[in-house]
Amino acid sequence: MNQTLLIAFPKGRLGDELVPLLAGTPLALDAAALKSRVLRIPTATPGVAALLLKGADLPRYVAAGVASLGIVGSDTLDEMDMDLLELADLGFGACRLSLCAKAGVSLDDLRAKPHLRLATKFPKATEAWLAHEELTAELVPLSSSAELAPLLGLADAIVDLVQTGGTLKAHGLVETAILGRSSARLVAARGAYLSEPGRIRPLAEMLLGALKAKP
Amino acid sequence: MAVRTPHFPDLLFNSAARLRRWEGALMGLLADHGYRELHPSLVLRETPPEGALRFFDGDELVALRWDFTVALAGLLTRTFPAPPDRVAYAGAVFRRPVQPWEAVERFEVGCERIQPEGEPAAEADVELARLLMAVPGLLGLKSAILHLGNAALVRRPLEAEGLFGELADAVVAALSRRAPHRVREALDGHPSAVRLTTHAEALLSELDGPGTLSALAASPYAALLEEERNHMDRALKALLPILPPNLELRVDLADVAGLGFYTGPTLRLWAPGAQQELAAGGRYDRLFPGLGRPWQAAGFCVRLSRLLDLAATRPDLFEEPR
Repeated sequence: MNQTLLIAFPKGRLGDELVPLLAGTPLALDAAALKSRVLRIPTATPGVAALLLKGADLPRYVAAGVASLGIVGSDTLDEMDMDLLELADLGFGACRLSLCAKAGVSLDDLRAKPHLRLATKFPKATEAWLAHEELTAELVPLSSSAELAPLLGLADAIVDLVQTGGTLKAHGLVETAILGRSSARLVAARGAYLSEPGRIRPLAEMLLGALKAKP
Repeated sequence: MAVRTPHFPDLLFNSAARLRRWEGALMGLLADHGYRELHPSLVLRETPPEGALRFFDGDELVALRWDFTVALAGLLTRTFPAPPDRVAYAGAVFRRPVQPWEAVERFEVGCERIQPEGEPAAEADVELARLLMAVPGLLGLKSAILHLGNAALVRRPLEAEGLFGELADAVVAALSRRAPHRVREALDGHPSAVRLTTHAEALLSELDGPGTLSALAASPYAALLEEERNHMDRALKALLPILPPNLELRVDLADVAGLGFYTGPTLRLWAPGAQQELAAGGRYDRLFPGLGRPWQAAGFCVRLSRLLDLAATRPDLFEEPR
């Protein structure tokens, strides 16, 4: 059975950086399909197609072997802890996972709070940091627009990804601590990679080559 | 990952018949090679471990057999002053699933080769690999891949560097992900960082036939691991001439699955396109000494539940049953 090989590409911030990097390479995404609402996009290589997925869903598609390869942020990987192979740090999409609070609020101010509330999409990384710092806090789980939480009193601070800091600045927030760093990673389905390395490794090398060819 | 709804699949007609046929064929193979069947009780006698399926019978906490190797070890140490040298088992184990698609009840067939501590073990390792090589043909798999690894390739350098606990776990997790960059991240600032990262890169550089062993030459621990390399080399020389058609032999230097349990050579059976390994095993010389018996052991387990799933989802990978 010679099935089409699927690569899972992220939508959103990472996808916006990735798609131009692939233009003109053997894994360039079909422009007409990209403009449509289709989520399975042919590439310039016959027999290889891309799935466009939300970052939080992407690791599941790869772990289940639906997609053989994928590109996802290391922050998502660390948060989900799926059984995946992580073949390379692709370098792009670099950002920080930071504790951010309203301007004028320091880390010591947050430490001193008897009941600290932190809003985040990253509860696992936040809990690990709190344990390391010997702090306790109430975690407020959010799935988007975390910047609003300190402004509207939902939380004292947030733990979120910061790339340029522009969104933070626009909301009057500042970074008070860096919890970790994130970048795009090439991931592979363990089963596909170990049982069919002759099919999957060349595809991984093609993808790495396509991304390296760009300045 | 927490799984809220355990998966208890029933086996209907064809699957039930296939399970009975496969169990019979595999147990026949093992019996032909001197492996005698033991059937440890379905109810665990030992303290219920975390991963077992536990429930209350009145006021008493009960757990079902969750792992044959552990259950057999209990039975053997309770029953025999000197162990039988070859034992086999077949049946179900019950384990809490880690991934949502895993069933709670899992059917397995396996075997164990047990020797007094200190006896040469290389021949036993090759014997088990030869037996596992016969399994794909018996199950009707059109093609399969046998991965040979060795847990000592990672364990010994970590021990030599005095790396234990969380840091060692982080290195093993990175190798399990086949991510040398994660090894570098985990060891940032540690005196062994460069050596262990170079070692990880060497282990991960190839996943191929016997030539893969030469990648060990690039490791800073090449001299430390000479005995393991020679052992793998001898095993390959014994196995390659008798390799059945449609079975490929690959060397996976970075096999770290079960590193806390395995102490030496490891075996993993795959089918092209399968998402999970179909059989796994290796040498685990610390199990019996940990139970107070000076015995060394190796074995493998064929995961029949995974094979049944594969036969249902990818029938093209199997020959038509005769």
